[in-house]
Amino acid sequence: MAVDAQTYDKIEVGQEFTLEEATDSQRLVIWAAASGDFYQIHYDDNFAKNNKLPDIIVHGALKGMWVGKILDQIAGTDGWVKEWDVAYRSMDIAREPITVFAKVTGKREENGEKLVDFECGTRKTDGTVTTPGTGTVRLP
Amino acid sequence: MELTPEMKAAIGKSTDTTTYEVTSLGIRTFCRAVGYENPLYFDDEAASKAGHPAIIAPPGYLGMPVWAPGAARRQELFKSPFTRNLNGGTAVEPLEHVYAGDVLEAVTTLTNLDILPSKAYGQLMVRKSETIYTRKSDGKVVAKTRGTSLSY
Repeated sequence: MAVDAQTYDKIEVGQEFTLEEATDSQRLVIWAAASGDFYQIHYDDNFAKNNKLPDIIVHGALKGMWVGKILDQIAGTDGWVKEWDVAYRSMDIAREPITVFAKVTGKREENGEKLVDFECGTRKTDGTVTTPGTGTVRLP
Repeated sequence: MELTPEMKAAIGKSTDTTTYEVTSLGIRTFCRAVGYENPLYFDDEAASKAGHPAIIAPPGYLGMPVWAPGAARRQELFKSPFTRNLNGGTAVEPLEHVYAGDVLEAVTTLTNLDILPSKAYGQLMVRKSETIYTRKSDGKVVAKTRGTSLSY
């Protein structure tokens, strides 16, 4: 599943793009290998429970990189992700789906570049945003 | 506890250079974990046809520090009295394409340090830093990241 690449003329302020991401233990283990973050609270049930967590939790950095991915898909091959930031406000328990979102907050032309600003992040199924952020993408 | 003179002196200081390797395996594992489907990020032929020297690292992927047994995970610029750490947030500014085979040199600067009262933890140390990644082969700055680390 992916969102379609956008163009500056067609994208509209207020438009929201979303991706659904699974957070099963296998995926968290693949992320551990990709990132080098082998902290056991992300894949070892007993370790997580012994650290007062209800279950294993999703890596913050993985949520941050999902936000990078949705912006990259919006930018497409002819655009560029200028920057994004996220704050890890609260944890996400694994095995619950996460929605990654990017909502257009503004469009501007600066130094000859067509830039689009986003409010972005990840949210739980109940709508709570656990990883709020902002991003800017250059579009063709 | 307040900031010690040693802590205050650490603000603005930078770590030694850390070397990061960007490998095709590393990029593909990152794609697999994050769920990238663009072939430029994993298919050599697609990348070559599009005029790239190798597969591209998706934005935010800057390789892995070169691992060695017993090596310190990170260089500390001051002695912290807090032992538990949380990742508070990250910002990424991609500046150039990063490719499989690139070797990046990263330098992290401590940009701010504070000890704040915290309802949950009593006190929270908030560390802000910026890391600049430079490609060894051509000296280009390929990305900047900023991080907030919380200790209690």
